[in-house]
Amino acid sequence: MPGADKEADLTERIEAFLADLKRGGCGTGPIRGSGETARETTALLRKVTAQARWSSAGDLMEIIRKEGRRMTAAQPSETTVGNMVLRVLKIIREEYARSRGSSEETDQQESLHKLLTSGGLSEENFRQHFVHLKANVIEAINELLTELDGTTDNIAMQALEHIHSNEVIMTVGRSRTVEAFLKDAARKRKFHVIVAECAPFCQGHEMATNLSKASIETTVIADAAIFAVMSRVNKVIIGTQTVLANGGLRAVNGTHTVALAARHHSTPLIVCAPMFKLSPQFPNEEDTFHKFVSPHEVLPFTEGEILSKVNVHCPVFDYVPPELITLFISNIGGNAPSYIYRLMSELYHPEDHDL
Amino acid sequence: MSSRGGKQKKGNVTSEQEEEEQPLQAVLVADSFNRRFFPISKDQPRALLPLGNVAMIDYTLEFLTSTGVQETFVFCCWMSNKIKDHLLKSKWCRPTSPNVVHIITSDLYRSLGDVLRDVDAKNLVRNDFILVYGDVVSNIDVSQALQEHRHRRKVDKNISVMTMVFKESSPGHKSRCEEDDVIVAMDSKSKRFSMGTDEFEIRHDLLDCHISICSPQVAELFTDNFDYQTRNDFVRGILVNEEILGNQIHLYVTQDGYGARVSNLQMYDSVSSDMVRRWVYPLTPEANFTDQQGQGCTHSRHNVYRGAEVSLGHGSQMEENVLIGRDTSIGANCHISNSVIGNNCTIGDNVVLDRAHMWNNVHISSNVEIHQSVVCDGAVVKEAVHLNKQCVLAYNVVIGPNLSLPDGTVVSMHHPEEEEEDDDDEFLSDDQEVGHSKDKTRQKAFNPAEVGPEGKGYIWKASMNDTEDEELAQCLWGLVLNPDPESDSESEASEESQDRTFQLEVLGTLQRGLEENIVCDNLVLEINSLKYAYNITLKEVMQILTRVVLEYPFQQQGTQLTTLQYTGSLLPLLKTWSPVFKNYIKRAQDHLDCLSAVEELFLEQDTHQTAMVKVLMKMYQLEILEEEAILKWFSTGATNDKSRQLRKNQGKQRMSLQRKESEEDESSEEGE
Repeated sequence: MPGADKEADLTERIEAFLADLKRGGCGTGPIRGSGETARETTALLRKVTAQARWSSAGDLMEIIRKEGRRMTAAQPSETTVGNMVLRVLKIIREEYARSRGSSEETDQQESLHKLLTSGGLSEENFRQHFVHLKANVIEAINELLTELDGTTDNIAMQALEHIHSNEVIMTVGRSRTVEAFLKDAARKRKFHVIVAECAPFCQGHEMATNLSKASIETTVIADAAIFAVMSRVNKVIIGTQTVLANGGLRAVNGTHTVALAARHHSTPLIVCAPMFKLSPQFPNEEDTFHKFVSPHEVLPFTEGEILSKVNVHCPVFDYVPPELITLFISNIGGNAPSYIYRLMSELYHPEDHDL
Repeated sequence: MSSRGGKQKKGNVTSEQEEEEQPLQAVLVADSFNRRFFPISKDQPRALLPLGNVAMIDYTLEFLTSTGVQETFVFCCWMSNKIKDHLLKSKWCRPTSPNVVHIITSDLYRSLGDVLRDVDAKNLVRNDFILVYGDVVSNIDVSQALQEHRHRRKVDKNISVMTMVFKESSPGHKSRCEEDDVIVAMDSKSKRFSMGTDEFEIRHDLLDCHISICSPQVAELFTDNFDYQTRNDFVRGILVNEEILGNQIHLYVTQDGYGARVSNLQMYDSVSSDMVRRWVYPLTPEANFTDQQGQGCTHSRHNVYRGAEVSLGHGSQMEENVLIGRDTSIGANCHISNSVIGNNCTIGDNVVLDRAHMWNNVHISSNVEIHQSVVCDGAVVKEAVHLNKQCVLAYNVVIGPNLSLPDGTVVSMHHPEEEEEDDDDEFLSDDQEVGHSKDKTRQKAFNPAEVGPEGKGYIWKASMNDTEDEELAQCLWGLVLNPDPESDSESEASEESQDRTFQLEVLGTLQRGLEENIVCDNLVLEINSLKYAYNITLKEVMQILTRVVLEYPFQQQGTQLTTLQYTGSLLPLLKTWSPVFKNYIKRAQDHLDCLSAVEELFLEQDTHQTAMVKVLMKMYQLEILEEEAILKWFSTGATNDKSRQLRKNQGKQRMSLQRKESEEDESSEEGE
């Protein structure tokens, strides 16, 4: 039975992915970048779409939602997974609406009138069967994958507009996007980068090595020196783990310090964040917001007796409120934090916000 | 080492790839083969005891799976059915599991050695495998160690048989098991366990994770040496025979990761608290790595974890490091810190819990205080009960009301005496035994003074002055908290009894030798084999031998011998057995030891002290003892009054002996 075989293969793939997610990110930053996670999630969802048994868009959405719930539960801090699930759900909605020939779904304008009169397309309406729906959805997911592949390049392309000659740029920790951004700018301009090392994981060291290999003048500073050095800095460019629905950030710890110092010196703070990092999550969802890893890096296990007398915590992320951020640079251009809500409604369907 | 290091790198690449195609295997021993958790493990095997609301064996399997093990053999003995049921229900036996779990049960396993011999007999492992117990909690990435191990095996042609994983942790760390306190001598360059090589370091900052990477030879070696019971036996055997067999044991020391074996309740307490404090990340409670429905919980500030449907009364505080399972309800004004509470528990008002470990379906009434104790499934604690440190309430026990249990109380539904009765077969047939023990339970009434007016259960400790029970309680919590000198004396006592049996055996041998006229060489052979059987040192053999020979006349003809009779019967015996003595007494130190044994005996038999000089004279003449040794013994200071007395008595004769000897010497010299 090839059908059963396929299904077994699919569940195996999903289980492997889930196990990977659960074990991933052992403290020293995620093993793979969130870009890669996004691509893997999307590819997996495409596989689900192609191989699972469904007859209507409603079935498919239910399947995707079920798998999505498990995937997000596996590693709640990895929001890109959830974001990709939402994107795929949105794609299914759009394709379904297009097949039906109504333009209703593409019309995103929310108005009080609309809210009162109808709840949009409800689940019952997705029962209709269309022959080409599957092909169309897969096609659309492929487009999404192409978009994901190009995000870093798209962001890096804008570098020259933001980085000028002889500027002093500060960054914190290691972000692949920021690294690409700076390297792109370095092809034409000469500038100086200061990297805060970002203890206790010290991803900053790696970042500095990579930058200096690209012959960018780089200085590594301790986190404690951030404020002191800030007066010399022209611009702060950072990456983030997630962009929250209110325009705030959930970024590697140390970012908040940098953002506050930048605010004090009125230095512009630019965040390089691809669109797939945009999450409908708000910062008040306390339970899954933070991620605490083994305290080993803060106080090593070898310390002995003191460990039974103290409680050591090792959070991975900081929350940075939106008012400290000057500009977001995403693959579709630069936006202010106050505009994030708008992007959010373009990317995701409001009914999907909680899976 | 470095010169060899150059060579191996070339040829390795291809063969390593070949090897990697074979799935990595692991042997998981889901039995402890001891009774450390006893009254608890009577109802549930240790591997299934919950740690942070997840069975311990799940941690071990998750650890194995995450290191890339693809095939695991789980060996169970005690209550194997329960373990089997648990595993069949868990995610490890789902068809999608990347780690194929085979369950092998047998009632005949009595030690790790038996398991490994079975591994060899069934030919289960084809390649290097990981050996762990079912109660190891770890997140160490052993792939590095595995690589080093394989590498060494390539280079040194299978000389390295085992790589043991150690974690650095300084002495005094609470997760160091006091019983496992190891001091390791290792070759600093090759990371090999070493005994007296030219350059080595001695380390006391290592924690034995009880994870070992073994070559397939390990199983074979266990088969070859049928007396190996534990891993310690094995390690000792390898190190002692290193020069003969050429096998080596290496170690892998890691700084990252976490690894510990829950070997007693003390370790249970600290591993549980480490887990709640996220040291074992990513194996944290909220990760729900066992992938069970409804096991998920949320993690919030100060390491407070809450399962689904937890209700918390007004004014209750969860201070820090608290894990609460699903469907648990907690009353008002409770104060909970550093505790783990299982599923479906009910807790009344004004309860104080500190370092408490409560498993599932526990009922706690109001005004209860519990400190550092374990409360097992289904236990009921009634109003105003106070559990002091290190109490254990085993399954289904009822305590209270209005009672305070002193430190270290262990209460179980099983009567401690019933335990002793069927001590022998308890490892064999659990179900059957539990069945008929229930009848007995009814016969004995619960003591309301011990467990409260409405209580059910028997105290398992102290009040009865039973050494076995005392040892038991100590075992439960480990030696750390009850540093009891008794344990030492007990082990000594057992050693002494071993000496005693050895002595009897030697006596029997000599007797037979005399009766059947066996050649002395054969006697030596027999004594040697006895020596190995009872694990007696050479020095002790000699002392015991001397003692047996000197006591022989008493044994044969009663103690009322006159000195004359005694010497009369002893001296011919000495002559007959002198080759036996000569075999054992070779170095100068041996002579002194022999003399001290003689001295000791004659101190006890003080009526025959005068015979001593004759004995010594005879031994000198038979060339058993050397002259210098006797003189040295005589001149060295006596250790106590009595021996001084003895020497004094001997003194005169001694002088004459000495003089005679010197005269002899002189005369012989003159003769020359």
